[in-house]
Amino acid sequence: DPRAGRERGGREHGAGPPGVLSRRCTPPRLVAELRDALDACAERQRQLDRSLRVSRRLLRTWEPAETPAPQPTPGPETSEEAPSPECTPSSQELKELELLTQALEKAVRVRKGISKAGERHRALSPKSGSTATSASTASAPSRASGQAGCRVSETKPPRGIQQNVVPARGLPECRLLSAGDRTRVGRGAGVTKPGPGLGDQQTPPSAGLRAPEAFTLKEKGTLLQLPMAYRKAASRNSRLWAQLSSTPTGDSVDAATAAKTQFLQKMRMTAGGPSSGLSAAEVDAEVGPLRKACSLLRQRMEEALSAAPADGVQEFHRLLTLEGLQAITEQCLHRLQELRAAVVGQQPGPCPEGRRPRASLPCGGGTAPLWSPQLLLYSSTQELQTLAALKLRVAMLDQQIHLEKVLMAELLPLVRAQEPQGPHWLALCRAAHSLLCEGGQRFPTILRDEPAN
Amino acid sequence: MGRRRRRVDREAAVGPLPEAIATLSRTLPAGPSPEIFRRAKFDRPEAAPALWRLLFHVLSLLSANGASASAAQEAQVRMVKSELRSQGYPRRALAQLPEDGSQGSRELLLALAWLLARGPLLERLLAQTRVPLGDEIPLFEGVSLVPLECDALARPSPSAPHVEADGPMDIRHLQWLMGKLLFQWRKLITSQQEQCALLGKIHTYTRGCHSDRSLGHLSVAETELLRDAEGGQQLLRRLERENARLEAALQWRCRELVFWRWMDTVLGTCPPEASHPTFLPRIPERGTGELELVARELQALQEELRGAVESRRAAWEARVGGWGPEWNAVQWASWEAVGHELAALQQAWEPGGAAAQPHGPCRLVKSDAGASRGPGLRAAQVIGVLRSREACLEAVLCQLQRQCRQELAKLAGALPGLIWILPSGH
Repeated sequence: DPRAGRERGGREHGAGPPGVLSRRCTPPRLVAELRDALDACAERQRQLDRSLRVSRRLLRTWEPAETPAPQPTPGPETSEEAPSPECTPSSQELKELELLTQALEKAVRVRKGISKAGERHRALSPKSGSTATSASTASAPSRASGQAGCRVSETKPPRGIQQNVVPARGLPECRLLSAGDRTRVGRGAGVTKPGPGLGDQQTPPSAGLRAPEAFTLKEKGTLLQLPMAYRKAASRNSRLWAQLSSTPTGDSVDAATAAKTQFLQKMRMTAGGPSSGLSAAEVDAEVGPLRKACSLLRQRMEEALSAAPADGVQEFHRLLTLEGLQAITEQCLHRLQELRAAVVGQQPGPCPEGRRPRASLPCGGGTAPLWSPQLLLYSSTQELQTLAALKLRVAMLDQQIHLEKVLMAELLPLVRAQEPQGPHWLALCRAAHSLLCEGGQRFPTILRDEPAN
Repeated sequence: MGRRRRRVDREAAVGPLPEAIATLSRTLPAGPSPEIFRRAKFDRPEAAPALWRLLFHVLSLLSANGASASAAQEAQVRMVKSELRSQGYPRRALAQLPEDGSQGSRELLLALAWLLARGPLLERLLAQTRVPLGDEIPLFEGVSLVPLECDALARPSPSAPHVEADGPMDIRHLQWLMGKLLFQWRKLITSQQEQCALLGKIHTYTRGCHSDRSLGHLSVAETELLRDAEGGQQLLRRLERENARLEAALQWRCRELVFWRWMDTVLGTCPPEASHPTFLPRIPERGTGELELVARELQALQEELRGAVESRRAAWEARVGGWGPEWNAVQWASWEAVGHELAALQQAWEPGGAAAQPHGPCRLVKSDAGASRGPGLRAAQVIGVLRSREACLEAVLCQLQRQCRQELAKLAGALPGLIWILPSGH
C-alpha cells in the first residue's frame, strides 16, 4: 500500500526535510523490482518459518498423542512381549493405537507405584544393530549386568565395551523399570525395530522410560530407529540416484544420442521460424559468466592499483597484471559483441567462443550434471551458522548490486533532469544519495550556508 | 557386432515402442497415458488437452518460478508458447495454435520431443521434484532473489499498470520499500541462525540413529517421520513413487532409441513449414537489457585499464632502460607468475570453474571435526568459496556506490551555499 508506505516512510526516515517531495512518478520499474525482491524474501521467510516450526516441535517434548507409544504392555506383570514383525503400520494398526494409548495410560499409573519399590525382575533386551554403534560414542552411564537397578551405583564402565547398552545421555536419573518398558519409539509396530535376541542379555537398560509422554529428543534421541520400510526405500533411492548420475554408455546410448541430434536437425530444417540467433535462455547462460568476469576483473584491477610496489620487480608485476587484465577485458568485450549480434539474429549461426552445447539449458552454470545429492559435512553448529550466514550475505549482495544498478539507471537521470536548487530537488538529491550511496541506511545532512548580508 | 546391432534394431522397431512410450510416461511428472502419445501422432484433438497440461507442468517445473498449476487453460497455453519460444523452439506452427488448448496434439508431441532431445530433461525434472529427505541449506543462488537477472531491465514493465493505479508515488515510497527490504533480510538472517542451531541439536541428539553409516544421524524429515507416523507414511509413499520414476528413467535410457525412430516418422508426417525468417519477431529480448548493462560495465573497465596501463607503461620504459641481462630472467618469472594468476582468475567465471561450489542441494551431515575422510564437501571449503565471493561482491557494490557518490557530488557541487555532510563511516 503506497499510501501507508509513504506515511511509514515518513516516520522511519523522518530525518528527511518536511514538505512535499518530488511529485514525479517514481519509476515503475524500480518499484516493481523492489516489490519482486520483497516477495522473494517473504517467500523465503515463509519456508524458513515452516521448517522452524517443525524443528522446534521436534525439540520439545513429543506429545503423547502423536508420539512414541511405547510397546504395548497391558500391565507390569506381563513379562515379555513378542517382538512385532517389521512392517509398515497399517491403518488397522493405527486404529489400534488409540486403544493401546488407553492401555498405556493405565500402565503408567500402575507403574508409578511399582517403580517406587525399585522392582526389577526381568532381563531386558538390548537394542542391537545400528544403535549399538552409538552406544560406543555416547557417554552412556551403563551399568554392569546383574547390578540391581539402583540409581546410586552408577559406575561407568569403559566406553565401547558394552555395545549393547542403549545409551541414555542426559537422563536425570536411572529410572529402571520393567521389561515392557523398553523404549519403543515411533508409533505402530513398523516404526521401531524390535531388538533381536530379546532377553538373551542380562544387561539392564539404562534408558528405561517410565512415562511415554516424556520423550524428548535431547534425552532419548539416540534410541530412535528408522522403520525398515523407510530404510529400504531410502537406500534404494540413493542407489537409483547414483545410477542416474553415472553417464550411460553403450551402443544403444550412442545410437539414441545420434537419433536425437538427427531429430533436432531435421526439425530445424523443416521449421519456418528463425533458425539463427540465440534464444533468451541461451543469452542468459552466456551473460552470467560475463557479468561475473567483469566484477572479478574490476576487483583485481583495484587490488593492483591500490598496492604499493616496493621494488622494480613488483612494479613490473603490477604492470603485467594490468596489461593482462586489459587483454582479458578485450576478449570479454569481443565475446559480448558476438553475443549481441547473435541476439539480434542477423548473423547466421553465430557461435560465441566457448559456447557450450549445454548453454541452451536455462539452469546454466555449465557444470557437469550431478543428480545424486552430495553430502555437506559440517563440524559444529557455529560452522553451520557461518556457512548459512555467508550464503545469505552473498545472496543479499547479489540482490543489492542488482538493485543498485537499477537505481542508478533510473534515479540518476531523474536527479539530473530536475531544476537544481529548490527544496524538491534537495530532498530528491538527499534521498537519492541515501539510496544510491548508503544502501538506504543513512542520510547525508545538507546545510544551507546563507551569507549574512 | 554390426549384425547384432541390426538385429536389435529390427526387434526394437516392432515390439517395444509401446513399452518405451509407457516408460517415458511413467518417468514424466503426471505423465499422460501412452495412448495419448499414439493419438498425438495423428494430431487427434482429444489428445491435446492432456499434452498442453503436461507441457505446462514440465515447463513450469523447469522455469522454477512456480507458475501455479491452477492457471486457466488459456494462461497455460500462453505460458507454454512463450516459454518454448524463449528457449528457441523453432516451429512456428505451435505459436499459431488456438489458445483454448483444443488442438495441436502433434505439435505438442514434437515440442516435448524437442525438449527431451536437447538435454537431460527427465533428470532435471526428477531433481526438481525430489523428495527431500535430508536437511539442506537452501541455495538461493541469484535466481530466486534477483528476479531473473536479465529479466529486470528489459522487461516491458509488466507491473506498470498496477503501479499507475496506485497513483503517482514519490521517492519516499522507494525509501520505504528499501527499508522494508533491509528489515526482511535481517529477519531472514535471524531465523536462519536459529534454524541452524536447531538443526545442530537435532543432528547431535540423533547421532548414530541412521542406518546409513555415512550419514550417521537423522534429518529433520526423518525425525519427523518417527514423531508423526501418518506424515511418515506419506513421506514413504512419495519416496516409493519417486523410486518408481527413477527406475523408469533408467529404463528409458535403454529404450529411448525406438522412441526417436518413431518421432522421426511423426516429424515426417508434418509438411515442412514455409520459411518466414522475419515472421516470428524475436521477443524483445529479455537478455538484451542485461547484455547492455554488462557491455557498459566492461567498456568502462576497459577505459580505466587503458588509462592505468598507458601511464605506467611509459614510466616503466623510461626506468628500465639500462638494466642488465639478469633482468631477463626476472622478467620471464614475472610473465609466468602473472600468467598463472590470471588463468586462475579466468577459471573463476568460466563454467565449471568454481569446483568447491556445490551446484545442487547438499545434504547436511554433522561429522566430528576429526573425521575428514569420506565423500562429501567440507563446510570449511564452501565457506572459503563464499568468503571470496562475498569480498568480490562487496568490492563491486562499493565501486558502484563510489561512482554514485561522485556523480551526485558533481551535481550538488554546482550549487553554492550548500554544505553536504556525509554520514560517517567513509
